[in-house]
Amino acid sequence: MNTNSNVYTVIYTTVVCVLVAAVLAFVSQSLKSRQADNEKAETISQILTAAQFGEKEHWQEIGNAKTIEFFKENINGENTRIYSTSDLKALNYKIKDGIVKSEELPRYVFNNGIVVLPVYGAGLWGPVWGYIAIADDYKTVTGAYFDHASETPGLGGKIKDDPAFRAQFAGKKVIYDGNGPLSIIKGGAPAGMENAVDAITGATMTSKGLHEAIATWLNAYKDYIEDAREVGEAIVTIVNGIEKSGTNAQEE
Amino acid sequence: MGKMKETILNPIFKGNPITVLVLGICSSLAVTVELKGAFVMALSVIAVTGLSSLVCSLLRKTIPNRVRIIVQLVVVALMVILVDQFLKAFEATYAIDKQLSVYIGLIITNCIVMGRIEAFALGNKPLPSLFDGVANGAGYGMILIIVAFFRELLGSGTLFGFRIIPQALYDAGYVNNGLMILPPMARIILGCIIWAHRSIDKDLQEK
Repeated sequence: MNTNSNVYTVIYTTVVCVLVAAVLAFVSQSLKSRQADNEKAETISQILTAAQFGEKEHWQEIGNAKTIEFFKENINGENTRIYSTSDLKALNYKIKDGIVKSEELPRYVFNNGIVVLPVYGAGLWGPVWGYIAIADDYKTVTGAYFDHASETPGLGGKIKDDPAFRAQFAGKKVIYDGNGPLSIIKGGAPAGMENAVDAITGATMTSKGLHEAIATWLNAYKDYIEDAREVGEAIVTIVNGIEKSGTNAQEE
Repeated sequence: MGKMKETILNPIFKGNPITVLVLGICSSLAVTVELKGAFVMALSVIAVTGLSSLVCSLLRKTIPNRVRIIVQLVVVALMVILVDQFLKAFEATYAIDKQLSVYIGLIITNCIVMGRIEAFALGNKPLPSLFDGVANGAGYGMILIIVAFFRELLGSGTLFGFRIIPQALYDAGYVNNGLMILPPMARIILGCIIWAHRSIDKDLQEK
């Protein structure tokens, strides 16, 4: 057969392309649900790591099923939707356009009072995202976990790989002032500044991107966080009031 | 049998794709900052070179000569995407794929894959082609791991993420070599490996 004729060439390439496309479509469809499960478990393990229920490696060791089970046992409320990174990306556009209310944004509230809030933004080479865990005073940061799509390993990749970078966030506070809500500062955060951590040396752009992501999202959560703080303070006031009236009653 | 042994061993030592043929340089600069990344990249490249060579060798008599590069490219791209999809689908390999994400796509552009298909698979039977592909992937992977070993040890003080250089040394004033993390250092290490390789194997020296 003349494999160099035009007709043969056109037919051959068409057949190859159709076959390859069919194989890819078939494989993609049949693996889709497994991939989605893995992604969901990955997101959950990141949320749980941020909330300090265990280190990231722990969730990898116990496997997807147990991780999801642990999450369901400890999350407050049923049918908690897990927002994938593409969901966060869509919300990020909405936040930038200013068309999202802080009630609409995802939050993962755990039975022990920890609230985990996602953040999403652009790093140097691709998206960066993460989860910030806040105590039930809605102010003190208890932990954080970050991930990225394509930052340089060993440089920007440290937002995920360097536990020392994440550890800085624990004990910091979300404060809506000129420095905050929660900043990453190049050259090191000044001592005593409660709402700032040190940037990563050699990864200025990634640090800056993550800083922007945190600022954008925490500002979007501002109404929610401030309302929750007021409610918290109101409850404390009421509880104090009841205790006071109780002791008064006894005195009378 | 002797020929088969030659097919397998030649790409690893005497005809190493990186140090002798100088193919796949670009990705060897990009993925060698850490051993873990280099290791999984090596395994993926072995899978892609092996399978692509096998398929192209099976198709070798039917491929129209004028569009053969395009057909090869389609086959290679198919293999790369399949490797990526399967890595993503299984729980055990999902974390590895996350580590690889950017590098997986780079395999498509790896000159070794296309180079071996052009030079070997199109003119040989499927089984030797499979071995040739796997062996070339292994030769590539070996260099990758050697370079990554030095870069991670001297650049971050770790190997596979475990701390090797003791804290006491840092306290005494030792500093990680920041240059090791940047791509130019990979080229310098690669140069040193080629130098060492050619001093041992005198046949490779140019007159």
